[in-house]
Amino acid sequence: MSAPHSNPLEHPEVRQASTWRYLAGFAATIVLMQAALTVTLRQHLPYTEYTLTIAGLALASLLAQAALFFGLDISRAQIWKSVSLVLTVPLFILSVGLTVWMFHSLMQRTMIMPQNMAQPTMLQ
Amino acid sequence: MATQAAPGAGTRLFHPHFEGHDQISARTLGFWLYMLSDALLFTGLFLAYAVLNNPMGAAGGPIATQIVNPVEGMWQTYAVLGSVAAYSLATVALKKGSMVGVMAGIVISILLALVFLGYEVHDLMGLMAQGHGPDSSGFLSAFFVLIATHGLHMVFGILWMIVMLVQIPTLGFSPNVVARLLNLRMFWQFQATVWVLVYVYVYMIGAF
Amino acid sequence: MQVAIQGPWSPLLGRLTLSAIPYTNPILVGTFAVAALIALVVAGAVLYYKKLGYLWREWLTTVDHKKIGVMYIIVGLVMFFRAFVDGLMMRTQQAMAIGPHSPGVLGAQHGYLPPFHFDQVYSAHGTIMILFAATPLLTGLTNVVVPLQIGARDMAFPYMNALSLWLTTAGAILVMLSLFVGDFSSAGWVGLIPLTELPYSPGVGVDYWMWAIQISSIGTTLNAINMIVTIIKMRAPGMGWFRVPVFTWTTLSTNIIGLTAFPILGVVLALLGADRYLGTHFFTAGNGGNLMLYTNMFWIWGHPEVYFLVLPAFGIFSEIIPTFSEKPLFGYTTMVAATFAIAGISWAVWLHHFFTMGAGADVNGFFSIATMLVGIPTGVKVFNWMFTLYRGRLTFTTPMLWALAGLFLLLVGGITGMMLAIPAINYTVHNSVFVIAHFHCMVLLVAAAIFAGVVYWFPKVFGFQLDEKNGLMFFWSFITATAIVFTAMFALGFQGETRRLDYIFNPAWRPMLWTEEAGMMLYLVSIFYFLRMLYVSLRDRVPVASDPWGTARTLEFLTHSPVPFYNFAVTPQVNARDELAWRREHGLDKAQPEAFEPIHMPSNTGVPIIIGMLSLTLGFGLIWRIWWMAGFSLLAIIIAVIIRSFDKNLGYELKPEEVAAMERNLATASIIAEQPARTPLTEAEAH
Repeated sequence: MSAPHSNPLEHPEVRQASTWRYLAGFAATIVLMQAALTVTLRQHLPYTEYTLTIAGLALASLLAQAALFFGLDISRAQIWKSVSLVLTVPLFILSVGLTVWMFHSLMQRTMIMPQNMAQPTMLQ
Repeated sequence: MATQAAPGAGTRLFHPHFEGHDQISARTLGFWLYMLSDALLFTGLFLAYAVLNNPMGAAGGPIATQIVNPVEGMWQTYAVLGSVAAYSLATVALKKGSMVGVMAGIVISILLALVFLGYEVHDLMGLMAQGHGPDSSGFLSAFFVLIATHGLHMVFGILWMIVMLVQIPTLGFSPNVVARLLNLRMFWQFQATVWVLVYVYVYMIGAF
Repeated sequence: MQVAIQGPWSPLLGRLTLSAIPYTNPILVGTFAVAALIALVVAGAVLYYKKLGYLWREWLTTVDHKKIGVMYIIVGLVMFFRAFVDGLMMRTQQAMAIGPHSPGVLGAQHGYLPPFHFDQVYSAHGTIMILFAATPLLTGLTNVVVPLQIGARDMAFPYMNALSLWLTTAGAILVMLSLFVGDFSSAGWVGLIPLTELPYSPGVGVDYWMWAIQISSIGTTLNAINMIVTIIKMRAPGMGWFRVPVFTWTTLSTNIIGLTAFPILGVVLALLGADRYLGTHFFTAGNGGNLMLYTNMFWIWGHPEVYFLVLPAFGIFSEIIPTFSEKPLFGYTTMVAATFAIAGISWAVWLHHFFTMGAGADVNGFFSIATMLVGIPTGVKVFNWMFTLYRGRLTFTTPMLWALAGLFLLLVGGITGMMLAIPAINYTVHNSVFVIAHFHCMVLLVAAAIFAGVVYWFPKVFGFQLDEKNGLMFFWSFITATAIVFTAMFALGFQGETRRLDYIFNPAWRPMLWTEEAGMMLYLVSIFYFLRMLYVSLRDRVPVASDPWGTARTLEFLTHSPVPFYNFAVTPQVNARDELAWRREHGLDKAQPEAFEPIHMPSNTGVPIIIGMLSLTLGFGLIWRIWWMAGFSLLAIIIAVIIRSFDKNLGYELKPEEVAAMERNLATASIIAEQPARTPLTEAEAH
């Protein structure tokens, strides 16, 4: 353990703060979410296209947040955060993706879907 | 082998006064890793939601379309992102060493977070009042737990901010306080990122 | 929303009544008597020798990674013994309760354990062995070794390290408590669903199981964060990534698994808890719950957890085999790559735990192939070890023998694992004891690695070697017992014996079951030799050099034995991958630093143990639904964390004269020596 030497406000991660980047991050996320909301409310796309559009907008907003809010890059101060994130993202995809695939296959093989179950029943 | 050079005149065996790592970087990295594990926690919740979000899971009760309101969710999104922006600007004030600026940013951030939580509590209480509590179907269980876990993260974030409001004036910008402010910034941004995912997946796709 | 429970409940004591104490069960009363006697003797000894203050100041409040590691290992050994006794009880029941005419004693129709008790025994055996024995033992070893191996003074977060230990200990105490207050889960260590749901397990057993795991796994996650940051940030100067010892590499990969897999376990148990406490319907049989969701999520954690255990074991082999072959490790780069390949694939294989669920051929095929892929990097590792041995100058010390035995177990366990990876075979032997025999080969490989590691690094920590003669007897009896028990078990699996049987309906299995029981007796012999090894070594205490084996290769053997509490008086500069071997080759291994410098150390703190014990009462309150106790404990934990965050203690500094004096008289710096009170640094001194 080394004793604290220098002024903590000189730390690169403090220096990294930037008004324009944060405001840009805020604006980008809001605009993307607003766009997604508009697409949702208009309901003019078929389901698959709709989900792909929304997923694309969500991905763009995640990237904007990672770059603008979190300030992730490959600089010395941030490299390990970026690396660990890149290593972890496949785990999100693997665990959710494989699970959904598996349950989809299981449902098709084991569940007989009565037609009336597919319709909402209580609140209509 | 390149790593097995023979010792020469310049070979050092010891490194006196080795500075080591700096404590703030170690703490932010440690906290970042905690957040990745927290992200896996939300992955688990999303996974449960994805599996239970179907008519079978709803067991005759309401399905997503009937209980989510994407327009209201957009107001929540404004509140939570505004809160994050306020806190982020507080860290810009930190760079300038301005205690007043940091504390003002944190206070605004807390207020906007409370607006968000107000919406959320109102939402969930309303559903429960209609008899659609988390104990009525598998789908509603997943819905409530996902939303409430995110809400709990915000509650802890607010608690943390209040502690920082006390620590900044009493302890000053010591290395510990600065590290905590940086970690809190990541945490706060993290919960907003999770909210964006919840909003997109539960409120928008659910409303389709 | 809160679920109504069966039976009495009072605001003061929750569900706790006198009938929760099993004073009518002679087995548990006997166990309690023995446990109480041991506790009394230990407490009496501590008080008689006036060591209470020493224990508190030097151990319970410590933030030293070596002491924390040693305490992890002690917790792990105690729990290992407990779970071994569970195993012995299961084997004895199966050896007794064969056929309809077998007699029954102690209230059992056959054998001596009624089904409900037997079910608790196997649930406890599995839960403890995986989570409260193997995990703390490995965490302990990595805690002791990794900072030394990378030339660091301590972990990156010494305070959090202590917190991890006490959270794990709190979980272990909860499991032990379930013996004497209430009962343990009878739904298997995996929590067979929907048996763990409230209607089918209305007692507190499942709650004990759930909260004990939950609390200790928070400790494991914190430890994972600590280890990863330590390895990334605190390596000695000169130790680039290609000079990091393989044990440290495997620790890194294992803790990446720990960091990412344990949250899923936390979620699945929390959702189960929501079902049991709040009446939600995640995994219920009706109202839209999904049983397979539980099994799926449990194994998303469960399979990476297997590699969480086995990777550090591979790391230990990779340290020991080169040392006692007097050769560098063959294929360092491929070894590291294989480690990370295993860790990566471990996330895509979990479905092989439930091939019979009914997923289609495409899904089962995918997971089957992914599982077999694990065999490739594992094979790379085995060949690397074999090429390291090839034409080496082999010395068969105890650690080396454990490592080689581990390779044999890996071979048997691995090949049977490949068989089980084939869905067609899996459908046939699923749920049979063949599966049990397979994974016991794997976890006993881990046990072998742990014993190898303990013997290998013990002299480094304590300054004297473990007795070799008794160690060899321990090794041979343990390994022979393993061979006897599990060979018979493989055979029984092929004959169709299913797992978790409290009554054996087929008398034809008797010879094999008795063979297994004989093996268990041999395990008892091995425990005797283990204790005797400890006793003889403690009695003789033959001091050793900084490198007790004479052929060690890595940095931890550069510093003194016993290792001073500050690890290295002056941080070493790393010049080669096997730094110590390189120095020895060039006659530099005896070099000492020219001058000493002040060393900054963190101060001890009682906060971690207080939080640990509060989480114990939190768990106890939740298990027995004593809401005031749970509420107060949670509040107290939050307050303790906040108070601790206001702490201004900056640690203390060892003066160069002090370091020089301790370097001359190492006993005063060892981790068992009592240190004088040292005043913390002031704000002014720190700058």
